[in-house]
Amino acid sequence: MAAAPQAVSAPPSAAAPNPVKRKTRPKGKGSKNKAKKKLARSDQDDSVHRRRNKPSAKFLKLLRKRTRDYNSDDDEEEDGQQQGHPPSPRSRRRDDDDDGGDEEEEALSQSDQEEDEEEDGVSTSAVTRFEQGCRAFRVAFLKIMAKKLPDDPLGPILSAHKKLVAAKLAEDAEEHKPKREARKEKRVAAEKGHVIPLYHLDSKEKELIKVATKGVVRLFNAVSKAQKPRKDLNPSRTKDAKVLAKERKNTFLAELEMPSHQDKRSQAPSNSSKRTGKDEDEPAWAPLRDTYMLGSKLKDWDKMKDSAAVDERAEVPLGESSDEE
Amino acid sequence: MRHPRSGPGAGKRRGRGPRIPATTLRKQQAALANVDQITGAKIPKSFVFSRGKLPSTLRHLQHDLRKVMLPYTALNLKEKKRNNLKDFVNVAGPLGVTHFLILSSPKSLPHLRFANSPQGPTFTFQIEEYALAADIANSQKRPRCPPGIFKNSPLVVLSGFSGLGNPFESLVEYFQHMVPAVDPSTVKLAECQRILLLKFDKEKEVIDFRHYSIKLQPVGVSRRIRKLMQNNQVPDLRDLKDVSDYVTKAGYGSESEVDDEAATVSLPSDVDKLNQASRKSAVRLQEIGPRITMRLVKVEAGLCSGDVLYPWPVEKEAGGKKGNVTEEEIEGQEETDDGLEDESEDEMEE
Repeated sequence: MAAAPQAVSAPPSAAAPNPVKRKTRPKGKGSKNKAKKKLARSDQDDSVHRRRNKPSAKFLKLLRKRTRDYNSDDDEEEDGQQQGHPPSPRSRRRDDDDDGGDEEEEALSQSDQEEDEEEDGVSTSAVTRFEQGCRAFRVAFLKIMAKKLPDDPLGPILSAHKKLVAAKLAEDAEEHKPKREARKEKRVAAEKGHVIPLYHLDSKEKELIKVATKGVVRLFNAVSKAQKPRKDLNPSRTKDAKVLAKERKNTFLAELEMPSHQDKRSQAPSNSSKRTGKDEDEPAWAPLRDTYMLGSKLKDWDKMKDSAAVDERAEVPLGESSDEE
Repeated sequence: MRHPRSGPGAGKRRGRGPRIPATTLRKQQAALANVDQITGAKIPKSFVFSRGKLPSTLRHLQHDLRKVMLPYTALNLKEKKRNNLKDFVNVAGPLGVTHFLILSSPKSLPHLRFANSPQGPTFTFQIEEYALAADIANSQKRPRCPPGIFKNSPLVVLSGFSGLGNPFESLVEYFQHMVPAVDPSTVKLAECQRILLLKFDKEKEVIDFRHYSIKLQPVGVSRRIRKLMQNNQVPDLRDLKDVSDYVTKAGYGSESEVDDEAATVSLPSDVDKLNQASRKSAVRLQEIGPRITMRLVKVEAGLCSGDVLYPWPVEKEAGGKKGNVTEEEIEGQEETDDGLEDESEDEMEE
């Protein structure tokens, strides 16, 4: 017997790294259990001579009678008096595994004590153990039946196990709580400053859109002014080309000037070019004047004050600046 | 019979002259890519990246910022943890990248830094509030973001920056330089599809950053006819006796169409079949892209290094020599600033 446990323990340690050999382990365990059971049984059978024959017909009749008259309530009162009774049929037909029959046998022993005479030399230790086992079982059983179970969709099956499982889950949740809090805090910190807009257009946004629209409109107007084809002058003729170029230059200067009275942002070269341009007084020739073709509406554009000034950047093309110099 | 010049690789020249070796050709093309074809000025390109680990919303913000700076930015720029600023500077040189937008997320609020690449100044902003492009699209009833609008760079509109001293002067210049220049005589209106608005709020001293898409709508055309032109679908004329019923039916005007004169422009050329030359069109903006409210906290003379210009360093007794040095520099700065301001004063009067 000592060798067997050793043999069993050796393969598990070797089997752990090698999954193929796992099959041997359960077998080893099974054999250990069997060995245990054998030991247990042999221990008990020493004292009692067990009869494994089929019971006689008379005895069977007796049993049937007992079942008919069986009443568990009577049992409880007469529990204490049971000790001294070693009824032979009980000892004879001992079955370790069959607990269901125990109570019946107790009842049988109550009602029929005449069987004692059959066997006298029955040892009391086994019987008392049996009786105690029966009593214990019955107490446990009654307790279970008396327990009020919670309404569980799965039914009362394995309720204790479920309680255990629930307790374990609660424990795990407790452990994870501080981790969860830390993660939540981190997430909140990450979102800092992130504002999800509720209303798409509230008044502030509308203001901003208006400002941007004004800027776009200014730019588009400048573009249209610059790009509108001049009906009177034909770009292919050189004389007119010069006029066109001058005209464009002036409008550019005008465009550069226009937003600058509110926000300034001109670059140095355009500064200088503007300055030199401004040095002349109103030139005599019409196209060179600042108000050429601008119309009366825009005459005093530099006096116009916008509450939200808009500013664009128009780059003087290289050709223009070189022209000037 | 074989032409003596027609070898592999020479076939595409098509009579343009002697064959240029491939390396030189590549270099020419690379140089051309950096230069704007029309004005001849250098096109400013940008990198948008982050320093340190960013939480996921900030990563979305970074992606949105990249989309704002398109097309002259790297949309899928990949950065590794071990890249530091020097690596980016080294890469930026050959590619012609001039502007850096750096997102970072220290303990408090996220920071956004605008910097000029090799040795330019760095402006550090603290982002007080932001909203992602996806949030804005979710809050709109009809979000509009046609994919073609990212093919051209946005127009920059600055507002509220008048009359502020340094550092806002240099900030204004920086923002203007961030996008390629727009030449009014040659630009096509169909290419101006996006607007970047930067408005300075004087009371709160924050800058509002907004990104809009431009839509031109013809004025004076009833809603039905406009929809008909846009959808190209045959309308349902079952209940009508005459086509004139359809055309002249008085439609209700939506509240947003009550635009004043300020929003209408007259177009120089055809933008698309709806908005035609010398007709009046209304400019309608719809917000796309992120929404940021930021506050300037620091200006440095170098690229994330160098002297601190903006929050004037408070003179401390324990500062000693260092305090003196910084003071001198500030004075020098202020002198030049005054000079600039004088010039601008002249222009204003004129």
